[in-house]
Amino acid sequence: MPREPMDLMQGTLDVLILRTLAWGPMHGYAATRWIRERTGGTIDIEDAPLYKALHRLEHSGCVSAEWGISENNRRARYYKLTARGRQQLKAEESAWRRYAAAVFAVLEPVS
Amino acid sequence: MRRLFKFPWRNARDIRADVDDELRFHIEERTSALVAAGLAPDAARTQALREFGDVDDARRYINALDRGTESAARRKDYLGELRQDLAYAFRKLRSSPAFTITAIVTLALGIGANAAIFSVVNGVLLRPLPYPHAEQLLKVYQANRSAGNLHASVSPLDLDDWRAQRTVFADIGGFWYSDGASGVDLTGDGDPQRLSAVFITPGFFTTLQVGAAEGRLPREDELVRGGPDKVVVLSNGFWQRQYGSSPSIVGTHITLEGAPYQVIGVMPRNFAYPSDRADVYIPYSTITDDMIPRIRPVRILDAVARMKPGVTMAAAGAELNTIAARLARQYPEDAAWGETTLVPLRDDITGNVRAALLVLLGAVAFVLLIGCVNVASLLLARAGVREREIAVRAALGAGRGRIVRQLLTESIVLSLAGGAAGVAVARAGVGALLALSAGQLPRGADVHIDGTVLLFALALSLATGLLFGLVPAVHASRAALHGTLREAGRGVAGGARRARSVLVIAEVALAVVLVVGAGLMGRSFIAIMKVDPGFRPDHLIAVNFTISTTRRPTGWQQYYHAVIDKARTVPGVISAGATKDAPFRGNGERDIFGPPGYVVKAGEDPPTARMMHVSDGYFQTIGARIAAGREFSPTDRAGGPHLILVNESFAKHWFPGEAAVGKSIDMAPAAINGKSEPAQIIGVVADIRQAAMDEPARETIYENNMVNGRVKVALVARTAGEPLAMARKLREAVWSVDKEQPITSIETFDDVVSESMARPRLLTVLLGAFGVLGLILGALGIYGVLAYLVSERQREIGVRIALGAPARSVLWMFVGRGLALTAAGLAIGLGGALMLTRLMSGVLYGVQATDPLTFAAVGSILLAVAALASWIPARRAAHVDPVEALRSD
Repeated sequence: MPREPMDLMQGTLDVLILRTLAWGPMHGYAATRWIRERTGGTIDIEDAPLYKALHRLEHSGCVSAEWGISENNRRARYYKLTARGRQQLKAEESAWRRYAAAVFAVLEPVS
Repeated sequence: MRRLFKFPWRNARDIRADVDDELRFHIEERTSALVAAGLAPDAARTQALREFGDVDDARRYINALDRGTESAARRKDYLGELRQDLAYAFRKLRSSPAFTITAIVTLALGIGANAAIFSVVNGVLLRPLPYPHAEQLLKVYQANRSAGNLHASVSPLDLDDWRAQRTVFADIGGFWYSDGASGVDLTGDGDPQRLSAVFITPGFFTTLQVGAAEGRLPREDELVRGGPDKVVVLSNGFWQRQYGSSPSIVGTHITLEGAPYQVIGVMPRNFAYPSDRADVYIPYSTITDDMIPRIRPVRILDAVARMKPGVTMAAAGAELNTIAARLARQYPEDAAWGETTLVPLRDDITGNVRAALLVLLGAVAFVLLIGCVNVASLLLARAGVREREIAVRAALGAGRGRIVRQLLTESIVLSLAGGAAGVAVARAGVGALLALSAGQLPRGADVHIDGTVLLFALALSLATGLLFGLVPAVHASRAALHGTLREAGRGVAGGARRARSVLVIAEVALAVVLVVGAGLMGRSFIAIMKVDPGFRPDHLIAVNFTISTTRRPTGWQQYYHAVIDKARTVPGVISAGATKDAPFRGNGERDIFGPPGYVVKAGEDPPTARMMHVSDGYFQTIGARIAAGREFSPTDRAGGPHLILVNESFAKHWFPGEAAVGKSIDMAPAAINGKSEPAQIIGVVADIRQAAMDEPARETIYENNMVNGRVKVALVARTAGEPLAMARKLREAVWSVDKEQPITSIETFDDVVSESMARPRLLTVLLGAFGVLGLILGALGIYGVLAYLVSERQREIGVRIALGAPARSVLWMFVGRGLALTAAGLAIGLGGALMLTRLMSGVLYGVQATDPLTFAAVGSILLAVAALASWIPARRAAHVDPVEALRSD
């Protein structure tokens, strides 16, 4: 994969996961399904990069992980947004909104 | 949120298992979801895997990442806990200032004293000499095995031969320096002065590999006879004192012994060999044959040698012995001198203080150990108070390791604070030590608190903290973990009581060793004080000067006597005389003689004795006792018969059971120069301690200075009043005979004796102080443990008293307990002292290292102190009011 889009992808994945976990603690499977359903198949995201992103965010302290019991009684690793993760989400969200607004401003047909 | 419970840290395998679990969970969940949606299991699994992407890559990536996350978290957690522990420790220590201050002061004294003594040991014994590759430097002596003399000075001619024939030595050099004896007169520059000179041979500076700080050092051709110019190198101290460190002095000429010498260089500030009292370095070649004959039997030089890199001392010794043996075969006067003795230069310089310093270091370590025991016992007492707090922490899930770590953090904070304060103590201590040692310490200039000493203090503090903290911490944690909250109390108290008893026993044992050491040193000092030096130092003063034979080639003996006569006329002077070497200021000359009937045998050296040169009236003046016959009189002049006195040691050895007076000995045994020189003994002098208070007199022959004179003069005078008050009058008396006479120094014998006692006094003072400190700390330990016991058993005592136990029996119960602990400590301590004080025998005088009197006295003192320390809390127990005691709690 070329370098530039990868960076963009990484950043995008991070913000998607942070936003997802903002709903509440969930395990990796739930988070990836949630993102997949939310994007409605528009973006084809594999699960592997999402897991990588989860652990990356754990490493940088944006999420914390703990083993818990899943809905069907299995041992699952639950992720939770930390205070720092919440801050990060806020910062990235606004950056994304500004970015999208700028792109839309360009795309808006001249009337 | 602060976690109360923590999962154990994960290792690499745990992480791998966790990652596998997580990924498997995802695939299986997805597969079963697809199966539920109607796919066949195999197809479902395949699709789940496809949706996931590269599983192996993800596994690898996540594993690596998680390992980093884990260790970062671990580090952060650890630092967090440390910060927590530190904050907690500071809060706890601040909340009990009495305990904290007691502990810190105890530790500051202990660590400070250790750092101070260590900085002396480091500067004097450990640090290399300030020369490049100092480990290659040796001091070389000529050895005469048949005479039992293995550390003799070296003949200049032999030294030349050694140097010429050497192969494993980079260089060999020699010098003649004798405090007070080797000197030159400086004139033409203010008041005439006697300078302390080091006369050096070629190879001296090149062996040490030092360079000049200013100018240059002598070339080889300037160090041999017939050199182009007379040159002199100044010591840094003299340069500073006399010329204000002006570089322009280099290149000019100064007048020494009435002759011009060119100043060619100045030594560096830290160069203090062979002594920091040396003023100038002058070629030995300037000494003419009529001053000191240049013949092989004149062994006068000190020799230093530098081994080539990689050469062992054994190889160096073998080569010098080979050369010496060759010379012994070649020259009859060297026949008995076929060997050499090599000593590492540093050991040679510091040899005589090594034992004293190591004894001090050992003693001061004991002080610190006692301090540690005391603080440990304080901590144990606190642990009793804190058992509840610790039990609560344990109940809340703090592991045992965690509690130990917390408590150890506290003790290490304490010990580091003590260490920091200790460095301040050490600074003061080093200053005091150097002042007390009064120039008796070789390499004193190398003693200061440097990085090594600070590191030592830091290491000592950490070790101390662990030492006194570990036992109480482990104790507290064990008790806290083993009991419920309620029971914890009793568990700790019982264990702590036992632990404190052990500590008290250890403390007493340590104190016993220290006090025995101090006691032995004290006895030794008293023994030295009681020594009869053979003269009366009070009201005695010496004016030291040297008669210049350059200025006064003839008639100097008349001058010598004129000065003594002049001194005798000074009002306030009772009597006056003169000697070459005043007591403690020189040990005479070693020379051969022939006892009556002596026949020289081939290959056997004639006997030797110390030769002293004294004037008439000398013995009367210094207050020596004439045991038989008489001392020299003014009428014993040159031209008459050769008359001598001997001391009692000499008389006893050579004339046992008969009168020495009237006997004759040969002052020049025939073998050496062919003509005998009989001298008649006219008197026997009671032994005079000449070298030092603690060194018995050697066999000595006294020559009449009027017949066989020496230019070095100590004019001694017994005064009616305060001797120092006569200093000016005596100096003026000398100058009234010759106003150009340089005077080396004027000193009272009270000062001379006091200086010669500096080392034993310093050792006695320090060991005494350490001993008292050990005793006090030991007594406090006993007091503390009993006071604690009494307060703990208040109720029980109350019951006993209520049931009619007499106060006396309660009193004895506790005193008995204190004495039992002391007795146990005493037994261990006396045993230890018996083994350890043997190491002191090198610094003791007139007392055995196993002196039973000292041991018995120390035992009684300790028992008495322990009885007192136990009696105070015991009395409180005996006066317990049963009603009060039973009502409380």
